[in-house]
Amino acid sequence: MARVAREMVEKAGINVDQLVELLVKNAAAELTTYYYYTILRCNLIGLEGEGIKEIAEVARIEDRNHFEALVPRIYELGGNLPENMKAFHDISACPPAKLPKDPTDIKAMLTVLVEAERCAVRGYTHICNLTAGKDHRTYDLSQAILNEEIEHESWFSEFLGEGPSGHFMRRGETSPFVSKFLR
Amino acid sequence: MKVFTKEEVAQYNGKNRKPAYVIYKGKVYDVSASFLWKDGTHQVLHSAGVDLTYALEQAPHGGDVLEKFPVVGIIPSSGKSQTPSKP
Repeated sequence: MARVAREMVEKAGINVDQLVELLVKNAAAELTTYYYYTILRCNLIGLEGEGIKEIAEVARIEDRNHFEALVPRIYELGGNLPENMKAFHDISACPPAKLPKDPTDIKAMLTVLVEAERCAVRGYTHICNLTAGKDHRTYDLSQAILNEEIEHESWFSEFLGEGPSGHFMRRGETSPFVSKFLR
Repeated sequence: MKVFTKEEVAQYNGKNRKPAYVIYKGKVYDVSASFLWKDGTHQVLHSAGVDLTYALEQAPHGGDVLEKFPVVGIIPSSGKSQTPSKP
């Protein structure tokens, strides 16, 4: 634990235990999404599925990176991950991104993907709002993750044809915003 | 449509296998089936059994997220929350 770092956050008026619980729940969401996206990716086949597979894979890897980036902050603030993996899964801040009944229904697959990203966007916006101007490190981390989640949402939303595209797939390395927390 | 008082809704707090009800703009929603309302708690900070009208105005989503949940009753003259559920 980073004792003084935690004290600074407490002095800024944040309920650190609540914040840690939120971070743990969002870490659970990232790791479980990584798992469920693995299944989705395996089932993205055929002419339509293969077209989505690459961005689903980037989102999958970046969600795992988000988990990796969140864990140190949880422990710095005096928190920890649950010992039981099932318990960790069940406290996720977002519902499981489960494979649709008909995996060949690409619209259903995209809906699962975009809803998972939207849950994440809401979650990190919430953490940014809570920590802005008070817990600079958690804010910086959450904002970095938020940037990537917003891009994930946009990719899937654009495949669903919800609006004109302002985005293109990743160029270069994954996690352009979060990578500074992974070095 | 059943007419609740806020005190009655407070009993449905999602704890001990009770249903989880929340109030939004005078309507009582049953969110028990939601993954995001397990044990009557949502995103650490919000509890079932209370009026979330104010909290939803501050939330990173609109009241439309409640549309998929059944309305189980109404609260008369309860357009605005008098008891904000912010921490």
